Amino acid sequence: MEFVERFKKSFNIEWVKLELLKTAYGKKETYMGQLDPRVIMIWYLIVSLLPWFTFNFVILIGLAIYTSALALITRVSPLIIFLLAIGVIGELGYIFLVVFFMGGDFEAYASLVTLTLKIIIMSIASIAAFASMDPEKLSDALLSFGVPAQFSFAVSYGYRMLPILMDEYQQIIQSFRLRGKAPEKAGFLKWKLVYYYVVIVIKAFYPMMLNTAKRTRTTVEALEVRGFSYSLYSEEAKKQKLSHLKIKGKEYQFIAASAVILTIIHVAGHLYYI
Amino acid sequence: MKPIIELNDVHFRYPGTKEHVLNGATLSIELGEFLAVIGGNGSGKTTLCKTFNGLIPNYYTGDFSGTIKVDGADVSQMTVSEMSFRVGYVYQDYENQLMRPTVLDDVSFAPLNFGDPDFMEKALWALETLGIEHLKDQSIWQLSGGQKHLAAIAGVLALDPQILIIDEPVAQLDPHHAKEIYKRLKVLQEEYGKTIIVIEHHTEFIADFCTDVLLVDKGQVLWKHPVRQGLLQIDDLLKRDIFPPQVTQAALHCDLALDAYNFPITIEDGQTYFRGLEFIKRERESESLTQENEAIASLEDLSFSAKTLSNERKTILNKISTSFHAGERIALVGTNGAGKTSLMKCLTGMSKPTSGGGFIGEHSFQKGSLEKLSKGVSYIFQNPEEMFIQDSIKNDLTFFSHSRDQDDSSFIDKLIRSFRLEEVLEKDGRLLSGGQQRRASMAIGLATNPTLLMLDEPTASLDVQSRKELIEILQEMDSVATVLVATHDMQLVAEWATRVIVMEQGEVTFDGTPREMFEYGHVWKRAGLVPPQIVQLSIELGMRPAALSVDEFTSRIKEGIPHGVC
Repeated sequence: MEFVERFKKSFNIEWVKLELLKTAYGKKETYMGQLDPRVIMIWYLIVSLLPWFTFNFVILIGLAIYTSALALITRVSPLIIFLLAIGVIGELGYIFLVVFFMGGDFEAYASLVTLTLKIIIMSIASIAAFASMDPEKLSDALLSFGVPAQFSFAVSYGYRMLPILMDEYQQIIQSFRLRGKAPEKAGFLKWKLVYYYVVIVIKAFYPMMLNTAKRTRTTVEALEVRGFSYSLYSEEAKKQKLSHLKIKGKEYQFIAASAVILTIIHVAGHLYYI
Repeated sequence: MKPIIELNDVHFRYPGTKEHVLNGATLSIELGEFLAVIGGNGSGKTTLCKTFNGLIPNYYTGDFSGTIKVDGADVSQMTVSEMSFRVGYVYQDYENQLMRPTVLDDVSFAPLNFGDPDFMEKALWALETLGIEHLKDQSIWQLSGGQKHLAAIAGVLALDPQILIIDEPVAQLDPHHAKEIYKRLKVLQEEYGKTIIVIEHHTEFIADFCTDVLLVDKGQVLWKHPVRQGLLQIDDLLKRDIFPPQVTQAALHCDLALDAYNFPITIEDGQTYFRGLEFIKRERESESLTQENEAIASLEDLSFSAKTLSNERKTILNKISTSFHAGERIALVGTNGAGKTSLMKCLTGMSKPTSGGGFIGEHSFQKGSLEKLSKGVSYIFQNPEEMFIQDSIKNDLTFFSHSRDQDDSSFIDKLIRSFRLEEVLEKDGRLLSGGQQRRASMAIGLATNPTLLMLDEPTASLDVQSRKELIEILQEMDSVATVLVATHDMQLVAEWATRVIVMEQGEVTFDGTPREMFEYGHVWKRAGLVPPQIVQLSIELGMRPAALSVDEFTSRIKEGIPHGVC
């Protein structure tokens, strides 16, 4: 009981909110965070595509270790890792069950595990990449790759709205709880209580969306006043926006190191083929 | 002086509506004015101001006629973007105008959109001019209300427009921060020669800062006068539910015909005007706190702390001990971030105290769940929209009793009548006007039949008439529940509360009657509060104890011709 109390104290909605915000806004002083976002984007594309060209287990393991190491030094939030771990464990368990009931042998299991491993590499690489870029950098990188300005702006605006939406959502859930009535008997495994909360969590979405929709009227007008639609067609505006992106020594070092490590992994894979 | 804005016979109808919002508006505004636009609800103030920057007719393409000239250019021939170099517009809900994650990003947003190579210098200049350069690396969502407002102003100032329009600059701020904003605007007008236009109904601010007043009525400009002359058109103002400054009201209601042609509008004026008057003293004993009634809630060493982004624990409430009694009207005051809302959230069970606690009825704040505590406590959110969780006011009102299978229809009917909600019952709360929303949210809060009703900033962003109605409703609440109101509205404190609790950085620094609080200058000064104008005037005139309302002020003037006048 003591443990449950402590768990409830440190892992609640407030904590989830804080972790997500930290992921989005926290100070990016990590190694990857200081790099030019375009380099990180390209790195991410390469590393997440590489696993799909091979069935070599050693290469896959190598890539997994390499991306995990980078994810570690970018200090990814425990919440994100927790979510990923749940996903992976769920996936492995599910594959095991499928193979078991369909009467497959270890061979079948191994090949499905290879698939999972590829997905894990992609996920870890994306965590390492996106956790080390703040929304602004991400949006600038997208813009410089020629993605339409509407889209790249939407990315950064989404991040800006995130905390507001979360506050709003939390308050509406509380409003439901303040005026609603929780079931008196919790039932087996507290299922009644869980069901009660699940219903609230779903219902709270509607008022939140309506409240937000109402607010955006001002936002759309203000975008016009502040020259956003002008900037969509102005080359000069784009140039100024991206003027802070520069590839310097640090970026070259990173590119070189990545190339070397990836080559080593591949060479090792061919030498010690399992 | 040459006019910078000229409107001639402007008519406008929003697309899809039947009525014209502007009905032949004609005006001229001169360079360097600090103009207050006033008018009743729905008179077309905001619409009028949106013609100055070309949102009307270029963005809202409704039914338009007439001419608008800004700085010599015909607005209908220009785009909204071109106009934004001449006219900056700050919305009433300025938070939705902030687009970018950090302050500097947001302030440089407009110059950057126009591809200005000096965008960074311009943004920094705007921040410096408004004195908020220290905020440049902060995230927008971490700022307080006042800081966000300054950031929004900086965002339009960065384009260095000649004209700045600000829609209700102080509606959501405490008086201290409100004054701060006005002071900065005054600097922009006086030192940088900007033309400032505000939509405002706090006549005290108009008297202190503006140079001219413009009255809008039914889509027309009724008149435009220099500030003193404008504020003394008392019949015109009262007809539209705009109240002159409290000192002017005092001079009006005072039987002595001191100087009928030279009514005061500011505190300084008032001091000269009422100089030499003598006032009846008041017995202080009659107004000590009435705490004989039974306590309905008690707090013992209640503390609360929360984690910040940088993983530190920040103490928000520090060992609060007090008790609330039946029939009290309690005002909880203090600047933004003093811990008022956090305290209320602890009392509802939305936040759990980190240490200490207390009881309401049989439920403990620390152990009782939110569901249990909410049987006795009702909390009304600052933003009424967060109270509307159903698709109609009626369903919102009955949500509590329905979820308990109770039949409260006679009680609910009574609430509907006393809050005058008959007409809006089937509507969604979000579609109501500000005053209706506030009334509805209070009725919804009361529908849970609480012993302690808590309201968070109930008078913020209400127009004068709705505010008056709200105070009347609050006055009748004593018999129903103990009411705890967190507020910046010192006039509400002076005229309504029987007890006031001052909070400062999570601690209670004063607990007593409003009269005592205003008497102790160091208390309210330290807590960053600003007393209502009439209280300030009484203090300046040496009235002890200070009068809390205009009526009290005039009734305490001693008969006879005062020395010093004539």
